[in-house]
Amino acid sequence: MLFDAYKMEGDRMFTEIKTATLSGVKGYPVTVETDLHRGMPGFHVVGLADTTIRESCRRIRPAIMNSGGRFPSERVTVNLVPAGIPKEGSHFDLPIALGVMLLGKMTDKICDTAFIGEVSLSGAINGVKGVLPLVMCLRGAGIKNIVVPRQNADEAAILEDVNVIPVQSLREAAEYAGGYRRINAHKKQIREEEDQRRGQDFDQVVGQESVKRAIVIGAGGGHGMLLIGNPGCGKTMMAKRVPGILPELTYEEKIEITGVYSVAGLLQTGDPLIRQRPFRSPHHTITAAGLIGGGQRPRPGELSLAHRGVLFLDEFGEFDTRAIDAMRQPLEEGAVRINRNFEEIVFPSRVMIIISANPCKCGNLWNDRKVCTCTKKQLEAYRRKLTGPFADRIDMYVKVSSVAKDKLGEMKSSTEWEGSESMREKVNAAREIQKERYKGTPFTCNGELNEEETKRYCTPDSEGREMIAEMYDKFALSMRAHDKLLKISRTIADIDESDYIKGVHVAEALMYRTDMDWR
Amino acid sequence: MDIKIVKLGEAGYPALLEKIKDPPAQLYYAGNLAMLNEKCAAVVGSRVTNAYGRHMAGVIGSSLAEHGATVVSGMALGIDTCAHEGALRAGGNTAAVLGCGIDVCYPPENIKLKEKIENRGVVISEYAPGTPAHRYSFPRRNRIISGLCELTVVVQARNRSGALITAELAAEQGREIMAVPGNIDSQYNLGSNKLIKEGAMPVISVDDVLEPLDLRKADMMRAGIKLSDMEYNIFQLLNDTGEMNIDEICLNIGKSPAYVAPILSVMEMKGFVFSHAGKIFLANT
Repeated sequence: MLFDAYKMEGDRMFTEIKTATLSGVKGYPVTVETDLHRGMPGFHVVGLADTTIRESCRRIRPAIMNSGGRFPSERVTVNLVPAGIPKEGSHFDLPIALGVMLLGKMTDKICDTAFIGEVSLSGAINGVKGVLPLVMCLRGAGIKNIVVPRQNADEAAILEDVNVIPVQSLREAAEYAGGYRRINAHKKQIREEEDQRRGQDFDQVVGQESVKRAIVIGAGGGHGMLLIGNPGCGKTMMAKRVPGILPELTYEEKIEITGVYSVAGLLQTGDPLIRQRPFRSPHHTITAAGLIGGGQRPRPGELSLAHRGVLFLDEFGEFDTRAIDAMRQPLEEGAVRINRNFEEIVFPSRVMIIISANPCKCGNLWNDRKVCTCTKKQLEAYRRKLTGPFADRIDMYVKVSSVAKDKLGEMKSSTEWEGSESMREKVNAAREIQKERYKGTPFTCNGELNEEETKRYCTPDSEGREMIAEMYDKFALSMRAHDKLLKISRTIADIDESDYIKGVHVAEALMYRTDMDWR
Repeated sequence: MDIKIVKLGEAGYPALLEKIKDPPAQLYYAGNLAMLNEKCAAVVGSRVTNAYGRHMAGVIGSSLAEHGATVVSGMALGIDTCAHEGALRAGGNTAAVLGCGIDVCYPPENIKLKEKIENRGVVISEYAPGTPAHRYSFPRRNRIISGLCELTVVVQARNRSGALITAELAAEQGREIMAVPGNIDSQYNLGSNKLIKEGAMPVISVDDVLEPLDLRKADMMRAGIKLSDMEYNIFQLLNDTGEMNIDEICLNIGKSPAYVAPILSVMEMKGFVFSHAGKIFLANT
């Protein structure tokens, strides 16, 4: 029987239990080797274990005893293989505890079973973070059964082709591992795909049709946008609705996003799969680490939590410049890289960035009814912030003006406001064209093109070229603004389902130029 | 810089200025002083302005200059700068009256403008070269601005703007005063609207400023022929209202932003309109 005292056969005993560890949002399979041999009593964990894991012996000893087992009074050495990669997380408790409990009782069955979970002193199993990526890597390594804490079963069961075995106590897990108990695999509960987007539709935004058009273009090409306008004109309201018009997520993308949230410990129990594109709107007091991720045990930042969705920086002028600048590289690359002692941790960060700003610090600059109280110095400083190096990542400037209340009344009756559905159709069509065009390249949309690619893919027809040359002179465009103009034109042509970038496309793009008069 | 001096009573001293009760004893100048003996009009206003004020200052400056008048102003930021620039854009005469020595550039960011005025107009001051800008010297120099001109146009002044001092001095000197009316719910226009209340002549179309100087009425040639039908519609719409945002234009002509935006861009390129702060304004053609 499992909880009988083991009998030493010879001088030593040995077990191997499979589990995994996390680096960023990627898991790596790990084998927990436990060796018992005669000698001075002691418990040692080797193999680049972090403090949580080294502490685990203090947890598992009472946990094993409280589960009715016996903790050996011989010398126990636990090795985490491969020894070269750093390992962290309290989910090593369960495999280590089982490694000890199964000494002398190793069955063949556990070779294709992995264990994840934290144990409490009472012998109960607690939920942990990052289960989805752990399970994914174990599945990739050919493991069929994965034992996870009850709380994480829904999350693990998102992946359909593994048996997820939920456990609530160490005793249950040990009996299962020893072959004394059967536990049915946890089945994903099929839920109706409810549309969370409802209630956040663009048709609730009245009288801002020109901004909606700009947003269709921005979303259609994945362009970074700046919404600039006086306080209360609806910038935030519109930004919130952008994820709802981006193309539907694929299954792989959903898993990818859910993985990030799993690592961050932000999944909801019950229905953990993230089906909608995320919208993140961090407060402007956020630090660089909060934005791009980091910390001693690296956690994904807002940039990664917005992966495949929208990162909205409201009141951009108020953000810390260092925090903003830290985002440049990750935005360009689509991934955050954090270097720690032994490893480089990578979090994905492919986002559509939308920033909003008032025209000046006090917010009244473009308001005819209020006087701007900013000093010249303040205006310059504010402007510098918006046009700083980060601004390279912003392709479109969109000016938003408030809708006058008196006009609203008369407009309401006469017009239908464009809603999210029709906007989504246009965005989808444009994205499809781009997907086709950039097949076999690292790009997925126009917004990602670099200088060279812009030249290659975004050449207007002769009429368009003429127009752009004229604009270049007339508005003294910078080279950078010129490139952005071309990218936007490409997207407008895509929305128009035109192979060529024509004069009208270039002309419309000019509306969103990033060189503008700030007075 | 070639600084010259003309004393009160000498030939070349501006005739109208001589008539005021405390004319400066001497004027230091750089540029063509003769243009101050032409018809002169002062275009003044606040330093803190909005797009409407700057636009009107430019348009009025251009219109006066096009018709041969010399646009006199104080080279301050805001309205003054726009008035000078408008005159220069039209290729006409303009004079800057400074409250410091004429080799001093105040405000410093107008250094390029000052050079242009020295070359194509005239910069004058009653203060000796090297005199720095003082708080009190500016109200005093305002009597020269109004004294040089038959007409003073206040474009946009806030409640306690220095431009109101200029208008007051012009009244004392018995000169004509006009003011450009503005929205009454905007503080930017409070001072200039007040002038109208107190009897200044309102400028209700740009050409109004030509009348007191007896300048030839502008040909009401507007660019209808150079515009397509839709462009012309939009042009007319803006001509009626002065400014509109894109959504208002779309609603008025019943077209989508995707249709209107390229047209507006083309019109902006042709120089008929300009966009600012999310609104479209009629440009000065």
